[in-house]
Amino acid sequence: MSWESIIPNALTGEAAGLAAGAQPATMDNEQFAAFYARSARPLWAYLARVSRDASLADDLTQESYVRFLCATVPEDGEVAARRYLFKIATNLLRDHWRKPQAASLEEMPEEVFAARCGAAQTEMQVMLSPAMAQLRPRDRQLLWLAYAEGYSHREIAEVTGLGAASIRLLLFRARHKMAQLLRKGVEA
Amino acid sequence: MSPFGCVREREVRDLLHQGYWPKACPEELHAHVETCRICADLVLVTRALGEERRRTMPQARLEAPGALWWRAQLRRRNAAIEKMARPIFGAEVFALAMALVVAAAVVVWQAGNWGGWIRDLPRALHLDALLPASMVDSGGGALWIVVPVLATIALLSGVVVYLVSEKQ
Repeated sequence: MSWESIIPNALTGEAAGLAAGAQPATMDNEQFAAFYARSARPLWAYLARVSRDASLADDLTQESYVRFLCATVPEDGEVAARRYLFKIATNLLRDHWRKPQAASLEEMPEEVFAARCGAAQTEMQVMLSPAMAQLRPRDRQLLWLAYAEGYSHREIAEVTGLGAASIRLLLFRARHKMAQLLRKGVEA
Repeated sequence: MSPFGCVREREVRDLLHQGYWPKACPEELHAHVETCRICADLVLVTRALGEERRRTMPQARLEAPGALWWRAQLRRRNAAIEKMARPIFGAEVFALAMALVVAAAVVVWQAGNWGGWIRDLPRALHLDALLPASMVDSGGGALWIVVPVLATIALLSGVVVYLVSEKQ
């Protein structure tokens, strides 16, 4: 059942024609639902771990998909579409960091991630959160994209907008720092 | 091995991403990772983040895709309507500006003749035909009735404009 059939008159007449004419629809409702099912959880995990705020990740995930649907989606396959989605999310995250920060009741501390999981955590997982917290947001971003999502340097450059040549060095430094923090945490 | 990379880094990374590390890879690669700081960092960080990704993904509280699809449709429609309304608003501003310019030009042009205009107005509107002869003959003509009528029209116009703009 599609949303158009549930609320049939919401997009009728001239406005519907305008909406259809404004941007060519490259993904229909069914295609989007399938794409969403495959990509939403990895995107949320990326936003949640990089921002360290689950509520913010909820909001940015939704906004990323709405913007994704409003934009002209790259037509060279799902991998490119997914990369584009991560790029939108990264830009939203950057915009959020640039804004003056206001305290929110919704903000969730890092411990909630552990509490939500419920399952027993490995020693490494326990060490990961403090290690991530000590890294700069950009380093967290680079590390997640490279080692959790498995993106290449070129793809990371595309998603983050950083120069492709600098990704290698930035990633090397961030990885080294994180490995040090993890080892230090395990030894302590 | 360069300061920022190891020749076997790509090999180790591929094995990690394909899930072959640590069980399905050669012993000598294990030995290399034991001694190579760069590859050891790679293994440590990739495994930690990979586990974290698997652990974090089920915690996502996701909205229904249909709701997002619907919201995007509305946003696109609003953007399209706004885009269409922009030239109309521009034309309205231009028309208003032109009207103000013309009005200002008339005011300047007729600066010295306002007294004559107002005196001639009752005759121009043929108010003599509407009023009793006694009123017309009294001093000041019908000016005393023209001014309140114009004021009433201006007031009503303001009310109409306000009501129309409120309705929009």
